[in-house]
Amino acid sequence: MTQTVLDKETFCAQVVRHQDALFRAAKAILRSDEDAEDAVQEAICAAFTNRDSLRDVEKFKSWMLRILTNKCYDICRKRKPTVALEDVADTLPAASTDPTERMTLWQAVLSLGDELRAAVTLFYYDGLSIREISGILGISEAAVKTRLSRGRARLRQLLDEK
Amino acid sequence: MDQFDEMLRERAMREPCPIPADYAGRVFAVCAALDETEETPKQKRTARHRWPVWAAAVLALFIAVPNVSPAAAAAMADMPVLGAIVEVITFHRYTYDDGHGSANVTVPELSGSDAAQEVSNQVQAYTDQLILQFQKDCETLGESYESLDVTSAVITDTDSWFTLRVDAEEIQASGYQFSRFYHIDKANGQVVTLKDLFREDIDYVTALSDEVRRQMEEQMAENPEVSYFPEEFTAIDPDQNFYWAADGSLVLVFDEYTIAPGYMGMPEFTIPADVYENLLK
Repeated sequence: MTQTVLDKETFCAQVVRHQDALFRAAKAILRSDEDAEDAVQEAICAAFTNRDSLRDVEKFKSWMLRILTNKCYDICRKRKPTVALEDVADTLPAASTDPTERMTLWQAVLSLGDELRAAVTLFYYDGLSIREISGILGISEAAVKTRLSRGRARLRQLLDEK
Repeated sequence: MDQFDEMLRERAMREPCPIPADYAGRVFAVCAALDETEETPKQKRTARHRWPVWAAAVLALFIAVPNVSPAAAAAMADMPVLGAIVEVITFHRYTYDDGHGSANVTVPELSGSDAAQEVSNQVQAYTDQLILQFQKDCETLGESYESLDVTSAVITDTDSWFTLRVDAEEIQASGYQFSRFYHIDKANGQVVTLKDLFREDIDYVTALSDEVRRQMEEQMAENPEVSYFPEEFTAIDPDQNFYWAADGSLVLVFDEYTIAPGYMGMPEFTIPADVYENLLK
């Protein structure tokens, strides 16, 4: 089977096409805008360097998300074990004084536990299958289902949906 | 998908994640700076190895083929002349390619003594396990790309010591490098791991771990580009990978990602003799 290495133009067009999904996945894991942008930048460079490992351009998004999540976990490991509250204050849902004001879905997602956010984001925002999420996050399909189940239950509470 | 799932997907489209204003510009700048002339790691590896069987292997369909090749063993010019009790007598080569997953595994077979045979069996069992896991991953990942490359080198072969290093690299989108070191003390004909170097009543793990942690912190303080995970590092493995450097120094080796971010590769720490010489057998 002959494999064609992506040229720069095609690669960049794919990155731009999926750039919002990349930021969203990174933000879901890291919760910080700045860290998410750093992770996307590192992932773009790593992916381009290893672009001959992509056999099918149709799989670009899953392939790129897998590289990105690895970069995000690298950043997580480099972080100190505790984070000052003010560092993540802007990522947490603000307490509303208006009882009729609903929490947005994204605010609710960001308030989920560390393990749940990425799986929930990839499933609901990117419409990916459990198998695809399993490959991207490097966890079993059973683990993806468990995370989605827990995330769904928590979102139902947060969004007060019956 | 139940009704609630569908409602969430609908809300996800209506209520997108806020994107920072500078983000698109940053992505554009990163893309613009990419250098197309730089070789990819796979291109570099291909150029280095020049596998004569590669073209044939590419045509193979989901098979693992063991080849016994005494000629290849003899032809490995970078292998040093080996002593009487440890010889590389052949290489077993496994190649595999199904268009999405590919593997190149070359396993040396040692002979000449019981210890050499023991190492040979250990290496065979280890690489069999890697191949099995690779095949399972191929089935799990479907059409995603995966590769496994395993190579080896004799890094020490003196009258008293023999060390075989087996290097592996798995790629599933991003790469993961890891190694195993196999040692034979030729003086007593024994296969040796790290714990065998030290007296049984001695806590060498703590002594070596403290030194590794000290070096991590020292290197990070001196160079902001260097990064480890000292807070996650609890201790070395009692059988941590190691080798003896040419000057006789003890060098501990860690697999990629285990104590540092991936960009740090496989960290190595040279342990000063005064840390461990009183602990040796």
